[in-house]
Amino acid sequence: MAQAVVMPKLGQTVEESSIVKWHKKEGDSVKKGEILFEIETDKAVLEIESFFEGALIKVIVGEGMPVPVLSTVGFIGMPGEPIPAVPAPAAAPELVSDFRFQVPGGGARKAETQVPKAEGGEPKPAGATRRPATAPPAPAAPARLFISPRAKALAKERIVDSANIIGSGPNGRITVRDVEAYCEAGRYAALRITPAAKELAAREDLDILKMNGTGESGRIGVEDVKRAVAMKPRKMSKRRQIIARRLTESFTTTPHFYVTVSVDMTDLMAFRKQLKDAGQAYTVTDFILKAVILSLQEHRTVNSTTDGVTIRWHGPVQLGMAVALDEGLVVPVIRNAEDLTLDELRETARTLAEKARAGTLLPDEMMGSTFTVSNMGMMDVENFLAIINPGEGAILAVSSTKDQVAAVNGEVKVRAMMKMTLSVDHRIVDGSLAAVFANTVGKKLEDMALWKSLT
Amino acid sequence: MEKFDVVVIGGGPGGYPAAIRTAQRGASVALVEKESLGGTCLNCGCIPTKTLIASADLFWRIGHAADLGLAVEKAAFNYAAMAERKNSVVSKLRSGAQQLLKWHGVKVFAGAASFATRNRIAVAAPGGAEPVVLETTDTIVATGSDGVMPGFLPKRSRVVGSREFLDLTQLPASLIVLGGGVIGCEFACLAAQLGAKVTVVELLKDILIMLDTEVRRELRRHMEKTLGIRVLTGKPLEKIEAGEGGVGGMFGEEKLEAELLLCAIGRKPVSNGLKLENAGLQATEKGAIEVDEYGRTKVAGVYAVGDCTAGSTHLAHAATAQGTGVADNIVSNARRKLETLAPACIFTSPEIGSVGLTEQKAQEQGVAIEKGKFMFGGLGKAMAAGETSGFVKWIARADTGQLVGAHAVGAHATELIAEATVAIRAELTVEEFGRTIHCHPTFSESWMEAAHAMRGTRAHQPPARRKA
Repeated sequence: MAQAVVMPKLGQTVEESSIVKWHKKEGDSVKKGEILFEIETDKAVLEIESFFEGALIKVIVGEGMPVPVLSTVGFIGMPGEPIPAVPAPAAAPELVSDFRFQVPGGGARKAETQVPKAEGGEPKPAGATRRPATAPPAPAAPARLFISPRAKALAKERIVDSANIIGSGPNGRITVRDVEAYCEAGRYAALRITPAAKELAAREDLDILKMNGTGESGRIGVEDVKRAVAMKPRKMSKRRQIIARRLTESFTTTPHFYVTVSVDMTDLMAFRKQLKDAGQAYTVTDFILKAVILSLQEHRTVNSTTDGVTIRWHGPVQLGMAVALDEGLVVPVIRNAEDLTLDELRETARTLAEKARAGTLLPDEMMGSTFTVSNMGMMDVENFLAIINPGEGAILAVSSTKDQVAAVNGEVKVRAMMKMTLSVDHRIVDGSLAAVFANTVGKKLEDMALWKSLT
Repeated sequence: MEKFDVVVIGGGPGGYPAAIRTAQRGASVALVEKESLGGTCLNCGCIPTKTLIASADLFWRIGHAADLGLAVEKAAFNYAAMAERKNSVVSKLRSGAQQLLKWHGVKVFAGAASFATRNRIAVAAPGGAEPVVLETTDTIVATGSDGVMPGFLPKRSRVVGSREFLDLTQLPASLIVLGGGVIGCEFACLAAQLGAKVTVVELLKDILIMLDTEVRRELRRHMEKTLGIRVLTGKPLEKIEAGEGGVGGMFGEEKLEAELLLCAIGRKPVSNGLKLENAGLQATEKGAIEVDEYGRTKVAGVYAVGDCTAGSTHLAHAATAQGTGVADNIVSNARRKLETLAPACIFTSPEIGSVGLTEQKAQEQGVAIEKGKFMFGGLGKAMAAGETSGFVKWIARADTGQLVGAHAVGAHATELIAEATVAIRAELTVEEFGRTIHCHPTFSESWMEAAHAMRGTRAHQPPARRKA
């Protein structure tokens, strides 16, 4: 009997997910453990393996549609087997068209020329059509290109992109004449291009009229086409799209305010070395995380968020730690961080960082952080400003510890100095509180009595 | 102090065309040469060897004239006369170069040049007199390369480099060639065609290791089977000793002996004595000068071309292209990259021509390729000429069919490679080339046939067997 494939529930807080990519199509045979599809939650993209053996006989939920978890997304069975009836999955209400990508370049241009026509000519004055405040602006409808078959064939033969051609027919339909006019306007007859460059441009669907030739007398060569290929807009990975969306959301809706402090790390570095020699190795991050946890307990407002109307203290510290990966940043969360001893904190941080690098973090492990620490100490930076994670009220950006000339008791000394910049949501944290908090963390790092008591 | 727009150091195939090009464009130019105009190429490289090879090759063909239905009594050669002819060709060309420089108004200084500063070149005067100092805006260094004679070789008249070999007036009856590179193989074939007993010893696993494998195999087979050359590879020649009557050494367990040993193990850039440091430059560990793709060194106004540059291919024509390219860039203020597609020609028997990627190189670079080959055995002209061994081979990109490499071995290969070079530089595809009409009957038709071979459309060879 056909087995229903369901949208997995990855963690307690995940209510809906969408399939980013089916790795199998209908009719493909599927082995147990093979990757069936990739799903996207609001924080991550994960590959999902098949629990069943057989053929993918039906796909119910296509790519890009968010559905509640545990909905049936397809069936695996024997080829030709009847498919049980299922109710069509209810598309999750929000998010549907939220961050659809516009076709870059040509596509967007197409939309410009056609959308006004569809809406009846003149663009309407702002406010004439009212949309619910929460609805995102309607993205330009994926523009359809109207082109006659002969014009299409001609454009292909000439290796020009019909998206760049303005159609003169009804509905902006592109005719053979339009293609010819486009070529003439671009001085197609005078164009010089090597045969191999032409072949490559055709394969890559490029427009040779839009290319810059650097060869003899402006002749377009293979190198020129290769450059154009490399310059073609490429779709960002789903993960990067999610990152982009979240960063934009935070940076455009949260008024950021920054405070930078310098911390004298000389004593702590020496103490760390001492511990290491004694067989107790801590990273600098371990100390910083601990100092932040302690400071957050003293200043509750920094561990809060606002929606603009209410302010909510989060209670226990759910500490996010940013981990840089090749394909973008992830922020695993140390749960109830204040309950952990320094040793436990070290172990948890290490485990999460390893999982992040191995790509095995579950969505739950990246959710619900209330404050984040981003340490770029190993990147040799003087100072940087971080963007607050959505859902949090502040983030601490930690820079490199460097030997610097410093005044100590009126004397010039060389000290290991580290800069930290606190970014706060200025709606809830005032400048003075931000300054106090940043210094609280700094002072704790300089307080050797504290560290001796904790280790 | 005399002032010039450009000073060229070195009058070889890199330097003197650069001086002429600069002068043609209206700049004032001085050229400094410490030996003879024409450099290694003209005086002790390309030209003299090709002159001798022409005699040797004809002698060899006369010896095999019966194959073409000719009866020749008994051919003989006079090596001293061959050497004399070579000298006269060289001196004619050398005075030609001198005349050309004069016509174009290039002022030639005889002596060794060195940098006094970035803009001042000192030319050593004979007998330790005060050097002549030239002031210049730009300088092109084209000092070339020199044969390497390693210290372990005995310093005896029985051990020679290519330069000394060319001065011989008598051919040795037996010859050991140390080094199976271009120079070693050319001399080996030359001597063998004249009847000398030749042994080539190469430390690497094959002779001419940079060439396409199939081409290499064809040449080696020919050298061994047809010319009777012993080709020993993969081990060094050790315990080399030379006496009055001969020279010998150990190749593994075997003792090799001959009248003469020719050392052709490589060439090193000439930069000693240039006092590059006075210009703010430093040569590499091997003595080469580093340049960018425009021939510029790290110091503004100082350029280098040809064999003295790092990564040089030791090809006279590449040096000429670089020299004239740099000259154009200096004089016109344009900035055009130097040509990089340099064909190689090797005057062994059979000849070899090669340009662009080999199969092995393509694999290293991760370029997916396809190849098309045509054997001279299937060519009407080759049969008519009695020169049926050899082939041409195209390498094309698998995706676009762009021609990216060409290799020829056999009669006229050094001439044949020119057409392939034009095709590759013009970025032609297999299809375009295949459609190009070629003269019949000629050897050059084989390029067209080889292009068709890639598409299964060649007419003059049996269809390729279908893959199961």
